[in-house]
Amino acid sequence: MPFRIRTVDFTATGREIVRERELEQAELSIGRAAENAIHLPDLAVEQRHVEVLPAPGGKLRLRAAGTLGFTLDGRSVRDATVDPGEGSELALGSYRLQFAREDGMVAVTIRQAAEREGGKGEALGGFSLAHVLPGKRPMAWAGLAAILIAFLALPVWSHLNRAPAEPDYDRPGAVMMDASWRTGALSSVHHGLEDQCEACHTEPFVAVRDETCLACHKDIADHAAQPRQAVARGPLGRFEAAQWDVAHAFNKPGPGACTDCHTEHEGAGRMEPTRERFCADCHGSLDARLTDTALGNASDFGKAHPQFQVVLNTAPNQARRQRISLAERPRQWNGLTFPHDLHLDARGGATQMARRLGSGNGYGEALECSDCHRPTADGVRFLPVDMENDCESCHSLVIDQVGGVYRKVRHGDARQARAELMALGRASRPAIVTGRGRPGQYGEGGLYRAEFGGPATGAALLARAMAKEGLCGECHTPAGGAGSLEVMPVTQPSRYMIHGWFDHEEHKQEQCTSCHAAAESGSASDLLLPGIAQCRDCHEGESARAAEVPSGCAMCHSYHPRTGAAAAPPRIARR
Amino acid sequence: MAAVPEQELGFHERRRDSDHESFLAHKRMRWLKVALALSLAAILGYAFADVEPRPNGGTWYGYTLGTIGAGLIVWLALLGVRKRAMTAGRWSLKAWTSAHVYLGLALIVVATLHTGFQFGWNVHTLAYALMMLVIASGVYGISVYATLPQALSDNRREMTKGQMVDALAAIDRQLEASAQPLGRVDADLVIAALEQDPFGHGFVARLAGRYRGCRTQAALAALESGGTEPEHERVVTLLRKRDAQLAQIRRHMRLKALLEIWLYVHVPVTVMLLAALTAHIVSVFYYW
Repeated sequence: MPFRIRTVDFTATGREIVRERELEQAELSIGRAAENAIHLPDLAVEQRHVEVLPAPGGKLRLRAAGTLGFTLDGRSVRDATVDPGEGSELALGSYRLQFAREDGMVAVTIRQAAEREGGKGEALGGFSLAHVLPGKRPMAWAGLAAILIAFLALPVWSHLNRAPAEPDYDRPGAVMMDASWRTGALSSVHHGLEDQCEACHTEPFVAVRDETCLACHKDIADHAAQPRQAVARGPLGRFEAAQWDVAHAFNKPGPGACTDCHTEHEGAGRMEPTRERFCADCHGSLDARLTDTALGNASDFGKAHPQFQVVLNTAPNQARRQRISLAERPRQWNGLTFPHDLHLDARGGATQMARRLGSGNGYGEALECSDCHRPTADGVRFLPVDMENDCESCHSLVIDQVGGVYRKVRHGDARQARAELMALGRASRPAIVTGRGRPGQYGEGGLYRAEFGGPATGAALLARAMAKEGLCGECHTPAGGAGSLEVMPVTQPSRYMIHGWFDHEEHKQEQCTSCHAAAESGSASDLLLPGIAQCRDCHEGESARAAEVPSGCAMCHSYHPRTGAAAAPPRIARR
Repeated sequence: MAAVPEQELGFHERRRDSDHESFLAHKRMRWLKVALALSLAAILGYAFADVEPRPNGGTWYGYTLGTIGAGLIVWLALLGVRKRAMTAGRWSLKAWTSAHVYLGLALIVVATLHTGFQFGWNVHTLAYALMMLVIASGVYGISVYATLPQALSDNRREMTKGQMVDALAAIDRQLEASAQPLGRVDADLVIAALEQDPFGHGFVARLAGRYRGCRTQAALAALESGGTEPEHERVVTLLRKRDAQLAQIRRHMRLKALLEIWLYVHVPVTVMLLAALTAHIVSVFYYW
């Protein structure tokens, strides 16, 4: 197969010189030695490097003559077959030989690369992702700067440069971007301060102080007088002491700070009541430190809580009410005679009376507790039993009937009642038989006229009023001498327990009698209050898993002393 | 085999080395055991720690986990410094890398428990999310390092990247010469194909391996049905060769992109995480 060897050279000025020669031979040899058909003066080329042999189908076989391979179309090979019709490029050292078919000949065009290929390193870099993405460092620096500015510099700068202002629910926050610092939603009572972090977080790196809380919560009093409260605080365990050391190192107030018990940012909704543990820290072993305390130790309602103590009168004319533990089975003196059992007896007179009065008067088949005991509007406690509303339906004070109108003794005013009774005899008595008069001197206004009624004059009633079965004495204890209608004052305490709070509303699905043993009580001096054991049927300590109602201290007790209903735990005070 | 570069030989030699041990299995998975122990301790502590009113980052246990987590994050990030100095022995780079991987995974447990499962749109959760992103990208990185190099090697067919570029250049030179007899329209197609930078395509094209704007394919489609003369056929053949060579280069780029992409997340997001972590810690103490 004839070869046309075309050599392309460049002069120093860049002009191209093309030389052609034709070789009528079947094979070619390529190398550095001069005897090769194609002689390439490059030290990187071997003396006899490649042999070009004919191959079937007009193709050429290129074979390495020595130990070194050659580069064909960019790949390193030692033996290859090329089709000159398709073309191929052989690279040897700095020379490139292109094979092509021209006019039935194999044309070999030889060029020397002008220089070692520049920009190849750059091209190799193109394989990497770095070629199309911004560098990792610029990305990192940009992200770093964006985060530090938005989430750190901006809030700190605007917090330091804000105008001083009082906390105010209606004012928008003055610190920029600090919503991004919020660790959780505030409880519902503080919700209005949600965008005013600086209202509580007044100073940088200073934990929320009691003064800040008291700025709004002005009438919160201390739990106990100092230094008693400090003395009462239980000794810290080693671990707790270490925790406090760390907390103080980080500028935390306490122990005893507002924030120790009242934690915020715990999520929207009601603020969680303080946990039992915080109370038990001091009250669990109070007598060990406050040796003169009247309070019993308490750490867990189910396991360690003293029996309830009640405040009541135990005898008439007591100047001060007594505080006595239910364990001593105290009896109260309230000035009344009232047997609950008589009234609740299903076959007794009171039941019959209620049935006769009927549903038209608000009574059922028997006398119910609620027929006499009415809850307060908030449902927490009961109103005092009231003579006019709760007793008089049966225990009538009617003494006379005048023309279809009943006259009755005024309740609660001894002198008025006495006057009304005294006047009773003077009034005309109703005729025994209507429509007919006795004749002559026996008739009305006659000489022999006689009253045939019983001796029910006011004087007679008055004389017996204070007797056991009398008008007043049936229920009341006489206070004056003979002939006086004065009675001992009646006491109906609305609360017996002054430190704990009981909410009847929360227990209304219970029967009254499941706690108050009224049906077995024959005397008004019976104290019908349940003891702690009865409460423990359902209520046990906060951590008692088996309890029907796990109950922390805050369920019944309030930490901050206030007066009136405000002293109740928030759950009850809110009503 | 002079054309096989040294680095490739070195690579094979290292693989044959019987001493080779993956950083994952370093010292019989010592750091896996350490990481598991740490995670277990964190979980047990979370279950039994007496914290009020409920577990979160603001309890004594939360601060403890947070301190451990922050320390771990800083130490893990220091691999970027440490890896630039290779040493052997007890604190060899391999040991460090092994610890980096396993302690990084343990951080998932430590940091998640630190949150107390309270999340929100704030810088605290941002730091957590960035941390999880860094860990996820690291897990991805290990998984592709385990699977893709074989595919990369298969695609090479004993060519280096330089040879792939050289081969393309050789084809281009032949195309340039062979296209001389073509008419204006066809010549323009060939010029367009030759002028297109094989590395000029964007990030998405590389990752997906789809090159809609490829002019070589466009030229091929136009010329394939254009004529039957030998000059024309020669150009078409060369364009096919160019297309095949481009395909190999593109597969290589795609595999390399899949191999490298995780670092473009792992490294910058780590730095962003350090910023968010700083903001997280400072903000907590600032609004103390």
